[in-house]
Amino acid sequence: MKELEKTKRISIAAVLTILVVLVGILSFKRPKNMYVVDTKKALTELTADTYIIAQKDVTEGTELIDIRNQYEYEKGHLEGAINIPVTDLLTDESINVFKTKDNIVLYGNTPNDAVTPLILLRQLGYSNVKVLAVKNSYDHNKLITEPATIETAVADIKGFIDNSVKKAEEANAKPVIKEVKPAPVKQVVPVKKKKKLPVEGGC
Amino acid sequence: MVNRNVVKVLSFRYMILAAIFILLAAGLVLLPKYQKHEGIVPEKLLSNAINPQRYISTDKLADVLINQDPSYLLIDVRSEDDFTKYSIPNSVNIPLAKLLDDDNKSYINQDQYNVVFISDDNFYADQAWMFGNRLGYKNLKVLKGGVNEWYSTIINPPVPTEEMPANDFELYNTRKAASMYFGVAYPDQVAKPVKVEPKKAAPTQVVPVKKKKKLPVEGGC
Repeated sequence: MKELEKTKRISIAAVLTILVVLVGILSFKRPKNMYVVDTKKALTELTADTYIIAQKDVTEGTELIDIRNQYEYEKGHLEGAINIPVTDLLTDESINVFKTKDNIVLYGNTPNDAVTPLILLRQLGYSNVKVLAVKNSYDHNKLITEPATIETAVADIKGFIDNSVKKAEEANAKPVIKEVKPAPVKQVVPVKKKKKLPVEGGC
Repeated sequence: MVNRNVVKVLSFRYMILAAIFILLAAGLVLLPKYQKHEGIVPEKLLSNAINPQRYISTDKLADVLINQDPSYLLIDVRSEDDFTKYSIPNSVNIPLAKLLDDDNKSYINQDQYNVVFISDDNFYADQAWMFGNRLGYKNLKVLKGGVNEWYSTIINPPVPTEEMPANDFELYNTRKAASMYFGVAYPDQVAKPVKVEPKKAAPTQVVPVKKKKKLPVEGGC
């Protein structure tokens, strides 16, 4: 009798464990967004690839995506662009866009704004994503789009520093010393006041 | 008859249970393949990327360099050529393509230093940051505006015009002093030590005019 109770308990425990595991497996959901590319591969891909595109090279059938917020998008946007703010980048809706379109070009106010979404999407496996090299600004509520250069040094800094040192040395070599000539001292000629002499009494 | 069959099956019950467990175990071995993520999840990475706290301003960086703060490690992700042309003092050159090499990973994968990524703008530096952040590395920062901003604010600060508020003048003076620290010379700065003291105007000689004493009236005869 005792033996039987023991086996019963074991069976019940085993069945329960199996149930728990089964429920676990069935309710297991894959995370919505998965990295497809690891960092190293993504980095080598990025350094080898041209992911920056100029506005004039945008062809028909390319999906332009405005990654600025909705307010700025409504204020003015490029023709044919759709709005996916950076914050909504991973929603089902936007992921759907990345999945279905062949060519996707992101743009923001500067190329710098678009770089983080680009890196993220590339690592999620959307290698069809590129960045538009434009700078957007407003003039009287009118969107102005200019081509932008990416990562070019604006100035020769070393040259600038050397130059400044040289200039300073030149200035040092012949210092412009203005001799401050003392103002000629005005000679004050005291006018001798003729003293009124008391009347000298004559005889 | 039925009873006998049931008994037959039941005699195998431990075997059946064991088989099921082995199957499940095999299933578990397969599972991790699906959820294997290198680094943090994409949603977290996105929210980190939106947060502008990763940026460090050029003024702050200048402050760090001048005070010789040892807790900062500057990593220049530009090419070697650009780095040799000009680099921010005390920075280390790791071109972006080589950032994730095993030798270089140790620079960014630690939590003793604040790592600041530097490039010409913050375009490439942000990329470096994104990769580092995905891998879960701590204390990564990006120099806002990069070397270009460094040039236009610290090395060659814009001279404020007269109608600008006093704060701008203070800022300009701070930046100018900082730029001197980084090697920029200003003509007025060098000329200072040889500044010629303006000669003191010769004191006017005061010639005391002798007052003629009032002579008592000289009497006549």
